[in-house]
Amino acid sequence: MTDRHLDQLIDRDRVDPSPGMRESATVVAPATIESAGATLAAASAAGATVRFWGGGTHQGYGHVTKADVVMSTERLTKVVDWQADDLTIVVEAGLPVAELEVLLEDRNQSAVLPELPGSATVGGVVAAGVSGYRRLRYGPTRDRILESVLVTGDGRVTTAGGRVVKNVTGYDIPRLVTGSLGSLGLIAQVCLKLWPMPKRAATIVVEDAAAATRVAYRPLAVLELPDRSAVFVAGSEDEIAAQTRDLGGTEQEGLAWPELPSGEWTGTMRVPPASTLEAVGRVRAAGLTFVAAHGVGEIHLAAGSSSAASFGELRSWAEAQGGSFVVTGRPADDGLFDPWGSPPPSLTLQRRVKAAFDPAGIANPGILPGGI
Amino acid sequence: MSLVDDLVAALGADRVKAHPLELRVYDKDAGVARGPVAAVALPESTAEVVACVKAARTWGVPIVARGAGTGLAGGAVPTEPALIVALTRMNTIHEVDLENRTAWVGPGVINLDLSAHTTPMGFHYAPDPSSQSVCTIGGNVGTNAGGPHCLAEGTTVAHILAVEMVTVDGEIVELGGPAPDPIGLDLRAVVVGSEGTMGLVTRVLVKLTPNAPDVRTLLLAYPTIEGAAETVSQTIAAGIIPAALEIMDRPMVQAVENFVHAGYPTESAAVLLAEVTGHPAAVTAEAGQIERIALQAGTTEVRSAVDAAERDLLWLGRKSAFGAVAQSAPDYYLHDTVVPRTRLVETMTRLYEIADRFEISMLNVFHAGDGNLHPLVAFDGRDEGARERVMEAAEEMVRVSLEVGGSLSGEHGIGLEKRDLMADVFSPIDLDAQARLRDAFDPDGALNPGKILPHGSRCYDFGMQPPLSQEPAL
Repeated sequence: MTDRHLDQLIDRDRVDPSPGMRESATVVAPATIESAGATLAAASAAGATVRFWGGGTHQGYGHVTKADVVMSTERLTKVVDWQADDLTIVVEAGLPVAELEVLLEDRNQSAVLPELPGSATVGGVVAAGVSGYRRLRYGPTRDRILESVLVTGDGRVTTAGGRVVKNVTGYDIPRLVTGSLGSLGLIAQVCLKLWPMPKRAATIVVEDAAAATRVAYRPLAVLELPDRSAVFVAGSEDEIAAQTRDLGGTEQEGLAWPELPSGEWTGTMRVPPASTLEAVGRVRAAGLTFVAAHGVGEIHLAAGSSSAASFGELRSWAEAQGGSFVVTGRPADDGLFDPWGSPPPSLTLQRRVKAAFDPAGIANPGILPGGI
Repeated sequence: MSLVDDLVAALGADRVKAHPLELRVYDKDAGVARGPVAAVALPESTAEVVACVKAARTWGVPIVARGAGTGLAGGAVPTEPALIVALTRMNTIHEVDLENRTAWVGPGVINLDLSAHTTPMGFHYAPDPSSQSVCTIGGNVGTNAGGPHCLAEGTTVAHILAVEMVTVDGEIVELGGPAPDPIGLDLRAVVVGSEGTMGLVTRVLVKLTPNAPDVRTLLLAYPTIEGAAETVSQTIAAGIIPAALEIMDRPMVQAVENFVHAGYPTESAAVLLAEVTGHPAAVTAEAGQIERIALQAGTTEVRSAVDAAERDLLWLGRKSAFGAVAQSAPDYYLHDTVVPRTRLVETMTRLYEIADRFEISMLNVFHAGDGNLHPLVAFDGRDEGARERVMEAAEEMVRVSLEVGGSLSGEHGIGLEKRDLMADVFSPIDLDAQARLRDAFDPDGALNPGKILPHGSRCYDFGMQPPLSQEPAL
């Protein structure tokens, strides 16, 4: 295949850049998964690098990479197969999370993806490997990807996993692609495990989030913000009343999820769950805004340019606890601060796995820790 | 010098087996296949595992890691003369961290021993395969094992935060970590369930689950198996995910009752065990809701265990199922497919039809909540043609599960047993992708060769071009 072949494919699928993309970007939006495969095969042959784009909400993740072509999933938005009684749904990657959840609400179900997704797509959330606040109760997003269709960097359309809730047939590629940030290719379609949602839910305002975490029984989340803490619970009327009593807080009907902190710089610190309390103390001392998920060990942060200086120190501490501090958003002109920190000890294997799916190294090259 | 000499130099003579009679103990798992063993090593530390790997690589002998050998799919059965690295002696619980609800354990720790160790502290290890009193955590990691309580809690992979692994080159690498979402590709998830084809796991960081403050176990009896399956579907559709939902059919109930005398209703066509755990304020209500659903689905008897002794008695029948079968026939073949939960009744009807047609004795006990079927065929391998008939029926049964949109294995693994059926589930392109992923960990195919992927999965094996997606001409 030649560059001319790639050019033809680009011309066929070309769309205007979305907000957030460079205005001069070459953007393609394949209408089918097979078309995406053909374009990636041609890109691999031509050595053209490709970045993938869903709703644009997680584009700040990872190393800044250069891309000859941006591949958007805006035309891959189908609900392929919803088996409501089996609690599974197959969707294409470009389906916005908000649309998916509205659809599922009809049957009182949820994919338990981030609660305030903005314009994020299912594919973007899976690629970034982010989870919602409710991971304390339902586990991370990674544990809900039952089947994946990955278009590899060299254009192979590969399916792995299956559309049943329990499965050990073959290697667990669905969990591998979760959080791969497009480094293996385009996550084009997934089958998600759904959860039935209890009919009632409430937000219980508490004084001490760490103490509440020890008392609450299987809450959805225990969140601490600079000025308030709350336990989020769901279940029967009786259970919510009992949990409110146990916690000694005040109950408000419904789930008042806080927005993730926003600022010039954003990041997420992840530490073993019991270290959350100390993490919050350090983040407060540094004067950052935050949402801390007790019981999980995930602290989302934001800072202006003056307080971002504390990031380095916070990262050293988080890494010493066996965790990480990932920068997820930064000023456009600041490419110097490493978004990942110390790379994982398995770099050699990571490189080889990337090459197994993207032999030409054209899929978001360099975005992962260690510049993979 | 020889492989055995190198192993003896590293481990000492008492932890290296080379006598044909000793090797025979390690040439099969709990399934039916046997394979050739070159030598057996019983390391007690990560450093000794490294020495085993290096010795095997020096002598060009493939390596098969092994736990307690309770697997049913042949995952630990070598396909060519191999060094068996039995990890059962690495059975130390290194460190329990109650604050973080985790524990670092050796791969040889027995599943139930871990829960027994932590239950008094208020925690347990959630995955509970039926073999949990003998199987090891390392073996559970190898197969991504399940169990009745994986319905609400997820299978092994959801409970493994990190592994320390010895690679095929003899390097020690840690994958995953104690904090959520370690950075980089999630290689931990790929290693769990990889049946020893990606490395030898030498330490495991497991998640511990708090013991439930309240538990209610129901035994529900039905005149038809459809009624039991209907209760399962309706319970899940009503938004309840119980801790466990297990169905046993009449032949199984009768076998179990003869064996343990748990007071199971032997005249019923099916028995459903439903267990609800949670906040005391919720458990009674949920159990009541399941009972109402069951009554609508035609249950004829409801028993509710109110204390631990009654609960243990109800579970005793379920957990003794395989022992009970062994009493009635010398051999059995146990299936492990998963079907969508809404297709349970239809699938069961077709399985009974196959069993009748092949005139085989089939008993059922299964994880109904997950759609994970375990038809168990009891037979006497000494009868002429019995084994062949069972295997022929087995293949039809697997195909029925695939036809309704199911998968080959829910928790036992692919191993040898289902390796050649992988091509019925995945396209050549899919299998090639899996083969390349495996090659990234083990380029020479030295780790448990011949497992999981059928021969010829690598397109390059035959000099073919990588299959690209079919694209209509522009």
